[in-house]
Amino acid sequence: MKIFNKRNICMAITAASLISINSGCKSFLDTERQGVYTTENYPYPQGGTPYDTFLFSAYDALRAYNFVSDGFMVASSIRSDDADKGSTPTDGGADVIAMDNFPVLSNGRVNTLWTEYFVMIVRCNDIIDQVQNNTAIVATPEAKLQAEAEARFLRAYSYFFLVRAYGRVPKIDKPLAATANVPQSSASEIYAFIEEDLKFAAANLPLNWESKYSGRSTKGAANGMLAKVYLYQQKWAMAMATANMVMTSSQYDLSVNYGVIFTEAGENSKESVFEIQGTASAQVPTANGIQYANIQGTRGNTVEWNRGWGWNMPSAQLEAAYEANDPRKNRTILYSSQAGAPRQTYYGQTAPLFPTEVPNPKYNHKVLANPSFIARYNTRGSWWMNVRILRYADVVLMYAEAANEVGGAANIANALAAVNSVRARARIGAPGGTLPNLTTTDQAVLRTAIRQERRVELAMEHERFFDIVRWGISQQVMQDAGKTNFIASRDNLLPIPQQQIDLSKGVLTQNPGY
Amino acid sequence: MKKIFTKFSVLTTLCLLLLNVAYAQNVTVKGKVTDGKLPIPGVGVTVKGTTNATVTNPDGDYSLSVPANSILVFSSIGFSAREIEVKNQTTINVSMATSTQDLEQVVVVGYGTQKRKDVTGAISSVSGEDLAKMPAVSPLASLQGKVAGLTVVNSGGAGSQPVIRIRGIASTNNATPLYVVDGFIQDNIDYLNPADIESIDLLRDASSSAIYGLRGANGVIAITTKRAAKGQTRINFTSNVGIQKVIDRIDVTDAEGFKKLYSTQLANIGAAPFDFSNYNGNTDWQDLILQTAIINTNSLTFSNTGEKTSTLINLAYNNQEGVLKYNQYQKFILRLSEEIRVTDKFKVGADITGFHDINQGATAGLNNAIWAAPIVPVQTDAYTYYAMPSFQRAQVGNPIAPMERNRNNSINKGLSFNGSVFAELKFLKNFTARSTFYARYGYDYSRGFTRPPFSFINVGENGGPTTTVIDNQFRSTVSQGQSESHRYQQDHTVTYEKTIANDHRVTAMVGFTSLRFAGSNISGSRTDSTLVVPDNPDLWYLGVINANNILTNGGGGNEQTNAGVFGRLSYTYKDRYLFNGTIRRDGSSRFAPQNRWGTFGSVGLGWVASEEDFFKDNIKAINFLKLRASFGRLGNSNGVADNRYQVLLANGRDAIFGENIFTAVGPEFFPDPNLRFEIIQGVDVGLDIRAFDSRYNAEINLYTKKTDGLLTSYPIQAGQPAFFTNLGEVNNKGIEVSMGWTDKIGKDLTFNVSGNFSYNKNRVISIGNTIDFQIIGNGGVNLTNTGQSIGYFYGYRQTGIYQSTADLDKTPKFSNSLPGDISYEDTNGDGIISPLDRTYLGTPFPPYSYGMSLSLGYKGFDALIEGQGVAGNQIYTQRRTQNFATLNYEANRLNAWTAPGTSNVEPILDNTRGNNYLFSSHYLEPGDYFRLRTVQLGYTFGANMLAKAGIQKLRLYLSGQNIQTWSQATGYTPEAQIGSILGGGADNGVYPIPAVYSFGLNVTF
Repeated sequence: MKIFNKRNICMAITAASLISINSGCKSFLDTERQGVYTTENYPYPQGGTPYDTFLFSAYDALRAYNFVSDGFMVASSIRSDDADKGSTPTDGGADVIAMDNFPVLSNGRVNTLWTEYFVMIVRCNDIIDQVQNNTAIVATPEAKLQAEAEARFLRAYSYFFLVRAYGRVPKIDKPLAATANVPQSSASEIYAFIEEDLKFAAANLPLNWESKYSGRSTKGAANGMLAKVYLYQQKWAMAMATANMVMTSSQYDLSVNYGVIFTEAGENSKESVFEIQGTASAQVPTANGIQYANIQGTRGNTVEWNRGWGWNMPSAQLEAAYEANDPRKNRTILYSSQAGAPRQTYYGQTAPLFPTEVPNPKYNHKVLANPSFIARYNTRGSWWMNVRILRYADVVLMYAEAANEVGGAANIANALAAVNSVRARARIGAPGGTLPNLTTTDQAVLRTAIRQERRVELAMEHERFFDIVRWGISQQVMQDAGKTNFIASRDNLLPIPQQQIDLSKGVLTQNPGY
Repeated sequence: MKKIFTKFSVLTTLCLLLLNVAYAQNVTVKGKVTDGKLPIPGVGVTVKGTTNATVTNPDGDYSLSVPANSILVFSSIGFSAREIEVKNQTTINVSMATSTQDLEQVVVVGYGTQKRKDVTGAISSVSGEDLAKMPAVSPLASLQGKVAGLTVVNSGGAGSQPVIRIRGIASTNNATPLYVVDGFIQDNIDYLNPADIESIDLLRDASSSAIYGLRGANGVIAITTKRAAKGQTRINFTSNVGIQKVIDRIDVTDAEGFKKLYSTQLANIGAAPFDFSNYNGNTDWQDLILQTAIINTNSLTFSNTGEKTSTLINLAYNNQEGVLKYNQYQKFILRLSEEIRVTDKFKVGADITGFHDINQGATAGLNNAIWAAPIVPVQTDAYTYYAMPSFQRAQVGNPIAPMERNRNNSINKGLSFNGSVFAELKFLKNFTARSTFYARYGYDYSRGFTRPPFSFINVGENGGPTTTVIDNQFRSTVSQGQSESHRYQQDHTVTYEKTIANDHRVTAMVGFTSLRFAGSNISGSRTDSTLVVPDNPDLWYLGVINANNILTNGGGGNEQTNAGVFGRLSYTYKDRYLFNGTIRRDGSSRFAPQNRWGTFGSVGLGWVASEEDFFKDNIKAINFLKLRASFGRLGNSNGVADNRYQVLLANGRDAIFGENIFTAVGPEFFPDPNLRFEIIQGVDVGLDIRAFDSRYNAEINLYTKKTDGLLTSYPIQAGQPAFFTNLGEVNNKGIEVSMGWTDKIGKDLTFNVSGNFSYNKNRVISIGNTIDFQIIGNGGVNLTNTGQSIGYFYGYRQTGIYQSTADLDKTPKFSNSLPGDISYEDTNGDGIISPLDRTYLGTPFPPYSYGMSLSLGYKGFDALIEGQGVAGNQIYTQRRTQNFATLNYEANRLNAWTAPGTSNVEPILDNTRGNNYLFSSHYLEPGDYFRLRTVQLGYTFGANMLAKAGIQKLRLYLSGQNIQTWSQATGYTPEAQIGSILGGGADNGVYPIPAVYSFGLNVTF
């Protein structure tokens, strides 16, 4: 009997311990994450701009590698007839080469590009959720509207790129339950969603910001983007009216010389409607910047010209597209020097020698950094250069295109005046007779002229490929450019990333032809 | 009345005994201890209940002055202990039986020990002696191939720890076993000296590890360090010095081969030929980054056992160079272990290990050396290096320049103190109370600087001049970082132990434990805007650079706690029927309060058939036979980050407006407030046998182990932060067999042959009802799906190469397939190749593993041969799929398709053809290998030969490790890379496993 008694005692002790430990150890086990905020202990800023820290997370995503540099540039520029891959023939491998030669691979950077745009969308949704549902933040109705407007502007911008690049994409308008597997919506549903966001943004964003926030989303940016969204849907009257709102907002004009626009000095100028902001310092050469200019920078053997990878080489087709003496040609194409034929950069340096100092005869001149900034930041990576997303000239040309399509003598006259205003600026400094004013009042002739003007004014600025697709001329244009693999019915859109199709267990479906 | 009488009689006897002891006459007892034939040296001879003891000499003789009426206890590892009453004899010759050798030894069973014969789970032991004679600085590396069910994947990196898996992959997230060092729960056991380990017990099944609650689910590796041996003052010194050499390299093309292949590739894509005219080098970059490296381990131990105290002091110095240049790891260890027996009933003890390590990482890059074009010469002087050709300059640098530039430019050191104090009190006759407090203080510190860059020679291409460039805008940076960690553990147990009527042995134990880990770190750097900091370590402190310069800094911390109560009951009846039961209630701070606690436990039953009378009478050949079965249930909280149930805000984000920087925050991940531990339940059935005079031994285990609520991170809809949750079930079933034969041939030749084999079948039973997404790893190369192994390979299956357009016309293909491309199998038979044709291609985790050894002894000589291998898995040669630039080619590309009939394996040299880079069986190779793990030859000098020098024993040996591996794998090692669970098996340039040739000695004074 004895052992059972003792065992009972043991069991009693065990039982007592089991009971007491749950309460006794409660505080011992209540540890917090060290050195990291949680949503529970975050000191939410109160007052005028309580949502800024969350909003800035979305602006942070603007600088992501594929969002604005590699994937973005490759899919919108190298894919077009205006640019070739550049660099050495085999550089970059099958994936980027296929972006130039078609069909695009479904297992490469289309996936990271897709993912980074959805990262932005998720961050925007988080902000909208904070505004609508976080009661820990006390804010004025105005602050709420403005924060939501910024988030919706950035979300719309992301969806606008996605719908042009991929066509059908999942519409995600709020923070998702972790288990949600959202199918694709049609392009027209996505366009309707974008319009809604941009209208809200345009109504609630400020016209401008104090200087410390230069480059932050504005009413003009939202309207400019909305005008383009209308243009893509051929809602000509709406596009014209919306572009006109930007043009009459007194925030922008064509006063900045074409050459200056792409310099560091031209950042956030009167020309700038929306641009993605980067900066650098000698301390932090890359982390606050954008790799956009670096991947297109000259791939030189010398210290001076070792500025990047040399991707996105202006094509022969683009070169041929300029009218005689158009100063924009040399500001767009950086010609390498050739034996006995030195060339100058915009900044007056002698361009590197082809083929001994650089492997390509041409580079994108618009991403060339000012040597004084290279000295100041002590780095050649050029990460400080902003990326021009929406220029005022683009808005003016959108207005011209829309007005011409709406038609009627008055509108065509306005369209003509708009195009000519862009040409007038472009010809500054050129010999007399360069880029004469257009005079036609024939809608079809003017249409062609506006398209031509758009191509050269905005060359290497990511409009061309999407423009030829929306104009319905991509098949012809790409054939003319020697892209014989190009099949518009397939290659107008990128493939849906195979990895995303796999992840979704087939809820996402592939685009036609792939 | 009876009870009182019993007590009285016991007391009386005790008093009488004491009196006897006090007044007994001492006699000197002499004798010889043999195994029946041969003398056994080193047998402990102790007067029972005292510390009066000696050991037998190499001839098996002993002599000891003892009370005439005392009892002598003879004990030695590998033999059953014997007790003999002196009864005034002066000569006692003892024959010790080797029967059921290790069965009387104790093994660690968690918060206590148990005799092996009473164990009902699957616990294997490896003796420290077997580990000490291997050249390794990690105590775990030498376990490879020794134990069935244990997978050890070694790394050749200096001082690196191997990846260890016990019985397959039971978690998609963290499958590393728990390390318990003398009771102290540790994440890292680098601080141990391999030569100072007495034994390692591997608790493999769920019932054995259940008492560790939330921490034991992946199995437990329990390490017992050495204690002072009984009876004598001893000095032992072991030393081993060896060289390590990489014998299996990755076969890449030389200059001639490269020129040929690159020219072919350019021609294939219609590009202009490359101008090689100024590239006259033929550099074997691997040769330049690899080195023949030294490994040296030394251990010196002093031990003494006195009447009241036992003391052990160990000093160790280990030094390992890596086979990658400038990689070096050194560790210094000082350990003191002390036990004081205050009274017969009360003892206290302490153990403290001081540890210091110095770590120099490799400065050479393996992939860099494999990728760099061989046509480039290395350098013209120590500061001037050749740049790579234009086709890879932006992505691939000269491998030697960074290797030399970063050589010894940082100092990385660590200090730690691991200590414990215990007190043990026996009370009320059958009770023992023991309390132990453990503490670890760790401190790591590093500092370094950046050396000015070298000059680079850009070789002229296309008639251009060759130029030398230097970055003259360089500014030097000095950095410093420090981190501290501390960990406290307390264990309190009360044990009741009693044998009733000789037949019932009962051990009951209850206990309480708590653990707390915390740490913090801080780091910073400053960059001088005017001066270049000299190459002088005395200056590498932040303060050397004025604070008005560029600076960065960072810091963070962590904290985690764990608490539990537990109990165990062991009962045996007549040594035939065994029962073990454990229970644990355990909580972890990692989870939300409502999900924090779990109750776990185990039941084990055993039947020692050989103790049954009918067995003893009839089956003489079998000395011992035990059948056992056990069940265990436990939780797994490993691998989940602290407080993952809360939404953490990432603050490493910035918005830029103009040139202004604004900080931003956002949720770091998608939280699961219901996150909880995984539940593991396992059943184990086993058989232990000793037969033919115990010459033969075998152990067979069958197990099945199910993990429920797998903690898994999976990417939900693109752009969402990863979601970490519990989902699904995975099952591991397996069989483990190990057996051995120990025998003698003639008088002097002894041998042991042993082998082990294990098979593990890993199957995902479900991935949960809530998950709507595919779980992928390594970018979609690995999938985790119901009915397959975790993270199996999923891709196209190569059928050959399309030889011609005629071939293309009659074969399923992609719309853009061309002759020279890889042809894939049309698995769904729809006539075309599409993503739907991807299929199961194999598993990255070896299902079969085995080890074998043969040891021989002849007079003073001993020899050991060990082999080890795995089978059944695939290796993904991911390093070959890189095509971001033109890289050097692996030798297989010399056989690339050039025209019909030239190759049916290797596709055309054309990196614009994306179809050939799709993941397929083309990039898989069999992971099967067999390695000659150890060949060792030793000689032991007996005391009679060395007595003059005061040496009791001296063993010298030569050893070769990893000297030959048979495998089809093309990487540096065929050992499967299983560190990643959902995306395992990829070879992206694995640190080479070198062959080690060494010489060692082990001397005892």
